[in-house]
Amino acid sequence: MEKSLAELNKAGSRSTSSLPPEPVDIIRSKSCFRRVRLNVGGLPHEVLWRTLDRLPRTRLGKLRDCNTHETLMEVCDDYNLEENEYFFDRHPGAFTSILNFYRTGKLHMMEEMCALSFSQELDYWGIDEIYLESCCQARYHQKKEQMNEELKREADNLKDREGEEFDNTCCAEKRKKLWDLLEKPSSSVAAKILAIISILFIVLSTIALSLNTLPELQDTDEYGQSTDNPQLAHVEAVCIAWFTMEYLLRFLSSPNKWKFFKGPLNVIDLLAILPYYVTIFLTESNKSVLQFQNVRRVVQIFRIMRILRILKLARHSTGLQSLGFTLRRSYNELGLLILFLAMGIMIFSSLVFFAEKDEEDTKFKSIPASFWWATITMTTVGYGDIYPKTLLGKIVGGLCCIAGVLVIALPIPIIVNNFSEFYKEQKRQEKALKRREALERAKRNGSIVSMNLKEAFARSAELMDVVVEKSERPHDNHLSPSRWKWTPKRAASETSSNRSFNAQDLGSPNKARATSPQRLNVQKLEEMYNQMAKTQSQPNLNAKDRGSRVGKQRDEIELGAIQDHRPPVLGTREGVGDMKSLSSIDSYISCATDFQENPRFPHSPAMDPGLQESNRFSHSPATALSQHSSGKTGQQTAGEREPMLTPVCVTKPSCSENARKFFFSGNSSKSLIPKGGCRNEGDSGPSPLSDSSVLSDSLLSPEVSVYTTASSRTPPKSPESTALAPTVFTFHDSSISKYIDADTDDDEHLRDISDASPSERLLAGSSPKRSMNINYQRGTNHLEAAQKMLGQNCLFPLEGIRGIAHENHVGHEMARRPKVERGRQNTLDKNL
Amino acid sequence: MEPLDTGECETGFCAEGEIAVNIGGVRVVLFGDVLNRYPESRLAELVNCSTQNSEVISSLCDDFDPGRKEFYFDRDPDAFKCIIDVYYFDEIHIKRGICPICFIKEMEFWKIDQSVLDECCKSYLSEKEDELKEIANKVKVILEDLEVDQCITRTQRCQRFLWRLMEKPGSSLPARIIAIASFLSILVSAVVMCVGTIPELQVTDSEGKLVEHPTLEAIETACMLWFTAEYLLRLASSPNKLHFALSIMNVIDFMAIMPFYVVLSLTYLGTSSMMELANVQQAVQALRIMRIARIFKLARHSSGLQTLTYALKRSLKELGLLLMYMSVGIFVFSALAYTMEQSHPETLFRSIPQSFWWAIITMTTVGYGDIYPKTTLGKCNAAVSFLCGVIAIALPIHPIINNFVVFYNKQKVLETAAKHEVELMELKSGRDARRKKLKLVHEKRLDMCLENHYQCECR
Repeated sequence: MEKSLAELNKAGSRSTSSLPPEPVDIIRSKSCFRRVRLNVGGLPHEVLWRTLDRLPRTRLGKLRDCNTHETLMEVCDDYNLEENEYFFDRHPGAFTSILNFYRTGKLHMMEEMCALSFSQELDYWGIDEIYLESCCQARYHQKKEQMNEELKREADNLKDREGEEFDNTCCAEKRKKLWDLLEKPSSSVAAKILAIISILFIVLSTIALSLNTLPELQDTDEYGQSTDNPQLAHVEAVCIAWFTMEYLLRFLSSPNKWKFFKGPLNVIDLLAILPYYVTIFLTESNKSVLQFQNVRRVVQIFRIMRILRILKLARHSTGLQSLGFTLRRSYNELGLLILFLAMGIMIFSSLVFFAEKDEEDTKFKSIPASFWWATITMTTVGYGDIYPKTLLGKIVGGLCCIAGVLVIALPIPIIVNNFSEFYKEQKRQEKALKRREALERAKRNGSIVSMNLKEAFARSAELMDVVVEKSERPHDNHLSPSRWKWTPKRAASETSSNRSFNAQDLGSPNKARATSPQRLNVQKLEEMYNQMAKTQSQPNLNAKDRGSRVGKQRDEIELGAIQDHRPPVLGTREGVGDMKSLSSIDSYISCATDFQENPRFPHSPAMDPGLQESNRFSHSPATALSQHSSGKTGQQTAGEREPMLTPVCVTKPSCSENARKFFFSGNSSKSLIPKGGCRNEGDSGPSPLSDSSVLSDSLLSPEVSVYTTASSRTPPKSPESTALAPTVFTFHDSSISKYIDADTDDDEHLRDISDASPSERLLAGSSPKRSMNINYQRGTNHLEAAQKMLGQNCLFPLEGIRGIAHENHVGHEMARRPKVERGRQNTLDKNL
Repeated sequence: MEPLDTGECETGFCAEGEIAVNIGGVRVVLFGDVLNRYPESRLAELVNCSTQNSEVISSLCDDFDPGRKEFYFDRDPDAFKCIIDVYYFDEIHIKRGICPICFIKEMEFWKIDQSVLDECCKSYLSEKEDELKEIANKVKVILEDLEVDQCITRTQRCQRFLWRLMEKPGSSLPARIIAIASFLSILVSAVVMCVGTIPELQVTDSEGKLVEHPTLEAIETACMLWFTAEYLLRLASSPNKLHFALSIMNVIDFMAIMPFYVVLSLTYLGTSSMMELANVQQAVQALRIMRIARIFKLARHSSGLQTLTYALKRSLKELGLLLMYMSVGIFVFSALAYTMEQSHPETLFRSIPQSFWWAIITMTTVGYGDIYPKTTLGKCNAAVSFLCGVIAIALPIHPIINNFVVFYNKQKVLETAAKHEVELMELKSGRDARRKKLKLVHEKRLDMCLENHYQCECR
């Protein structure tokens, strides 16, 4: 390990110190070796050049073709000609199978690999998924299809939500309030009460409806025919009045009238109300007309339609909704069930007909007549109004019973499976929705000063990464803060307790160098956190309040701290971090656990370190410096700093976009990607917040976003954003857009934006080498940890996740050279 | 796993009888005598020939570094780590996550017999292999559809065209129309068969007997003609007549057609008084039941039904179990009920065979109510028999259902897999040509680059 580190350092120094190597050198080096060493996420592989040549259009195949520094950098993340080693910052686990594809021509998929992440890897390496061998393909495609379906549903949900914009017409605010009151029972106590009242009315009206048919309660009208009981008719009228009012209010407050009208639940509502009015209209208008009997018949039919109101309950019950959805989705299986039954009925009824035909006064008079018997027998109801009497008939009957049991039981498990899946999903979404609404409410109350959250989010994530990164380099002792940071972080992630963190912190010998404001900060945030945990009833509110306050303070401190050290730009370089970390942690967490019960407490420790880390950001410039001084002279860095500073303002908008992108990729496993895609860029309204919460489905999200807002306030004007810009492209668009593809048209827009940031190109052009270089070292530092943890992420207990996730990302995303990859992606796209 | 185990060995040398191998970047030092436990394996061969000429070596491994005495293999290091176990433990376990098919390929490369694979992994392997075979079969079927006509003779081409028209509804629009028409005719004939038995719709013939309505009979005849034509066309177009005649679907088809013609001929014989009329009518009655077979013709058009039959075929054992449980239960409970109900004067259980019916109806929870116990003991017995019946049915049914669900899901998976496989094949055939082109371009470019370089240096 030591040695490889040294090697890599050497590699690093090569690209920092010297000019990019001439094409000649590259060609020479390539012709010198028959083999090539590929370092993928720290795992070294050795492969023959000619093996790679088998697929010339893939990424590795292109590696062979690249003869200039630029093209080479487009293909790989780093390289070392002396060692004949090329570095790729990708998942090493997936790469094994991909390399085997070159060797054997058979693409297999690691069993434990998630199909989606594997598909991302395939995209990166430029291999089409179609090459997947049939034994693994089944699993892969099934998973992918399932995911796509889920995505589609998610997007539909989102679209519904998107539709709720109230800004176009008059009294938008009031209408929104009304809408929330009527449509979202969880939004407030009043809404909940309204929902309960509505349910009660439904129940009451159905009871009245059935009581109405009791002969004892019926009255007789002037024609001697029984009519409704007057009391019950009053009840009915009141209920209908309530329903009508509800419907009209909903309709008035709905943001999109036509969509509202079309909605299945609203159609049911309408059907529940209409019959009553039609009945009244008909009876009133035809009172004296001759065809009274006909009218009565029509009225009777409409009366039956009143039953539909029981379906109104579906609005208030997830279970009923998912039942409906399940039936819709498994119509194939339902069809199968009906087909089986129909065939069974046909066969057995004709058999029994022939068996019983000659019996005296048999009830099996014809085959259609014995259909009834077959149905009742196959469903094992057995009324006994008609049953076989001959021996042959009895044998047929016995077989019919058994066949009925079998045939009905067969397709039902498939339907049940569908149902349970959907039900689970629905439950999950409901929870996520609640979370989001709570956040929105908190925001409306003004406790969060709204700024572009995505930007903020990204920045905070980046800060965290910087810290984490530092923390992993204990021997880098140029500036003590790095040491200082290292210990507590470790402790925090390992023991996952604030106390121990503090203890370690205090006990750390280098602590003296840490400035006191920061300590204060840590405590503050911690305190805030504790407070939040305590006041669970209104956690978000509280948290936000404190968060913003602390954030402000920290802001000031931060700036001060930065000034203390050398120019802050250096820190930015360090910040080429992965914004994904936060969101991905969320996704990890949400993957790992279902924690419905107690959202906040169990995860609090896990969250804490992250908080502290981001909090400690202010030190990173210093440490960043240290790294630089170890690698290079300050002179050069300063020289290179210039181009980076300039595009700050330009890049800002795109940052948000990028942050969003990161959300996607980070959460791709959760399949919530399209969300951001639909939103407009830079909308500082509710979207950023909601984005984070919805995306990170876990219940942790509010905290996360709270913290983010808090921390995001820190360096609004500092040049971090420049560092951010390159990071943007760490994700290859194609995979992202693929997800989005499923349902939104906005991916065009997304791409546009990413394309439209010339500053980033400029930036990356000016500095790719260096930043990459640093990253390289970093990445290799954590190779081992990352490697080990990779496969297990999802399995780790929450407490562990924090640390792991960090290490992972340090290993992976950090070292990625952003711009170039994107460019490459572009070229790939074009090529393809 | 330590990446690139570059310890002391890299700098120095390997001791006598040791060889250093580099498998896809992972360096391993192995003892020769350990490797010789399997002398026919690739590594053992390498050890034995390491002193010999380089040609043999290069035939065995991909690259050889004489300086470090290191043999390089361009293989999967992960699989190798499992395979190397055979030298130490005489058995191989497939590491979780490696596809067994892929692993077998690796074993073949290292020239290690498949028999050393441990039992636990073998079952896993065979499972996968079965699946692959099924996919391959599916692909073959699909490929046959796609196959370009290469028949020489005209009759053969006609035959193939007809075959596709009749058997592959997905191949063309007319074929689909034919499939839909045949589906509809099945439905119509089934409905006609049922409706024909309704007494109100029957007419009395000259002898005062009720016979089917003439229109219904006409429809029936038309359907039958359609079926016959279909069957004959299929038979004519099938490449293998015997195989065709014996396949289940076609047997069903035949059974659906046959009664009609038998009845026709019998009535002809009856009217021409070659046989007694009563006998003929009895035979006709019996053959009427055979008409039910046409319902099974639906199976041709529904994959779900095919799955059902397949699942039932596969779970014959469980079905037997179900029947056995049921029959045991029926015997026990009917006997019990009979004895217990003896005391009641107006008992409905007159004999044990008669109470079999009651037992079936009770155990399957149908309960018509034509026979029911009247004594207290008998009622208790009925309750117990009902419970036992539920359990006896539920237990063996579960595996059957499971089979069905598995097959149902597998069917879906296989369909997608086969589809992708076909796509892959198309791609591969297209790719080979393209790859050659690309290679040429690439080589040219490299040459040019080198040339440029030389020119530069010369200057």
